[in-house]
Amino acid sequence: MKIAVLIKQVPDHEALVRVKSEQELDIENRYVCSFFDEIAIEAALNIRKNHPESEITAISAGGKKAVDALRRAVALGIDQVEHLGDESLEMADNCYLAYVLAERLKAIQPDLIICGKQAGDDDFAATGPMVAEYLNIPHVSAVVSLGSDADANQVTLGREVEGEIWYLESNFPLLITAEKGLAEPHVPVVMRVMKAMRAQIPGIPLNELDLKDKKQQGRLRRLRYTVPPERADVAMMREPYPQNAAELIEHLKKNGVI
Amino acid sequence: MMCNEIWVIAEIRQGRLTRSTHQLLGAARKLADERNLQPAALLIGGEQVHAEELAQKIPLVLRIENSGLETYEAVRYAHALRQLIEKRGRPKVIMTAAGSSGVEFMPRVAMRCDSGYASYCVDLFWEGEEPACRRPVYGGKVYEELAISTVPAFFTVRPGVFPVPENLSETGRVETIPIDLPEDTGLRIIERKGISPGKKDLSEALCVVAGGRGMGTPENFKLLEKLAEVLDGAVGVSRAVVDAGWMPHDLQVGKSGKTVSPGLYIACGISGAIHHVLGMNTAKVVVAINKDPDALIFRNADYGLVGDALEVIPELIKAIKSKT
Repeated sequence: MKIAVLIKQVPDHEALVRVKSEQELDIENRYVCSFFDEIAIEAALNIRKNHPESEITAISAGGKKAVDALRRAVALGIDQVEHLGDESLEMADNCYLAYVLAERLKAIQPDLIICGKQAGDDDFAATGPMVAEYLNIPHVSAVVSLGSDADANQVTLGREVEGEIWYLESNFPLLITAEKGLAEPHVPVVMRVMKAMRAQIPGIPLNELDLKDKKQQGRLRRLRYTVPPERADVAMMREPYPQNAAELIEHLKKNGVI
Repeated sequence: MMCNEIWVIAEIRQGRLTRSTHQLLGAARKLADERNLQPAALLIGGEQVHAEELAQKIPLVLRIENSGLETYEAVRYAHALRQLIEKRGRPKVIMTAAGSSGVEFMPRVAMRCDSGYASYCVDLFWEGEEPACRRPVYGGKVYEELAISTVPAFFTVRPGVFPVPENLSETGRVETIPIDLPEDTGLRIIERKGISPGKKDLSEALCVVAGGRGMGTPENFKLLEKLAEVLDGAVGVSRAVVDAGWMPHDLQVGKSGKTVSPGLYIACGISGAIHHVLGMNTAKVVVAINKDPDALIFRNADYGLVGDALEVIPELIKAIKSKT
């Protein structure tokens, strides 16, 4: 089976991110492979355990940071990686990024494409579905389980839908996005980390892709970044237990919260 | 071809229109009024009763009909929506709730229509003649405002960010539009199973009572359920509780779980790690109960109570039930 995994390097969830100006952010230099993308990588590796002939390619599109995500993929056990494009993609909108990835995937022709449910930076959750639509293949978002019975023709999978799990059966080709629970990312062994640091990460420049469709560009226009609304100082309950419980409920009732 | 409309795609869960749908009807009416457009509700699949209920809240209901739409599936929904757009013309805006289905099919349609899409919006407004949104990025550490220059603009909106409009009484018109669907999309649903049967939906709830490791044991979460019950709320949990195997992932609030925006969020025995806060910082009122007076959660709360959640919760229930 041919599997492609789409990954992205994003700020760690504990990294400081602040508004520098309306058009610029100040982001602490702590980047990691996006949380759900590591789950996607692990899910691909799990399939390869059952189907050792499977070929996995990890792809990351964007500037230099993409290379670090791909090194992580190598460290975790993926042999083929591709760095797509350049810094110009960092400011591209979700549709254009999906278009670029999909154009590359046309050449690879994977049976299964796995992405993270959403990236830890823009939180769009859009790349996967958009790639699938462009390639005209079905997709399922937020997949929590993948049947080990996957064969060359079909796979069963589970997804969470508000309080339910739906089990589906799908033919290939198929795209899925990984939700927490689909796989448990492992800690890479030191040898592989060393190998990943030395690995040559092949790059594919944008001019090698057929990107003539100008409609794919500039659909979103960022107006500005803003600071989230701040919560007022906390009001601490002053009464001793158990009166503090009544004190709290009185506040909530008085302010019409309950 | 364009049409001067704004569409809200209604969501039906357990046979009822969701609260988010009602919230979006209000948001769509306001956006439409500001630019003299026609607000409309879109029913994909669904039943006549839902169409009639929507017609009491909004002047126009478009009901897309095909027996293949009874069960939700992204490819079919995307197909249906695209056909409606072809038949009727491109509306200015198409919006729906950012639930598990909305964020699944909307990007597909946007891609197919060569138009812009923004997800998890917390506000919608006009920037000149372009529809625009505000949405949290980097887990809510900052917000961005985006305008969509192509038509239609596709938005999914976080549940709970708009109020449910009051006193709407319309005698709206229902138009039924038959569409064709591909026979086989390659996907088949085999089974649907409830994960947490009888539990209220976390993302739709007006009140969320959440518990962390401070609850001590998995059994103690029954106490939270009791508190949730008297407040007509839903139960949520922290990542630590899910990782420890105490509760299922579908109840997790946080960066790798659900993002909730209820009117009231009560955090019990939750330390307030950034991971958790990113999932609940758009709640309107936050109450924190924790033994540790220095717990981070108090910095993200409106009301704080230092104490053992296990002791405090029964007292809270008593106080809520008392008339005074």
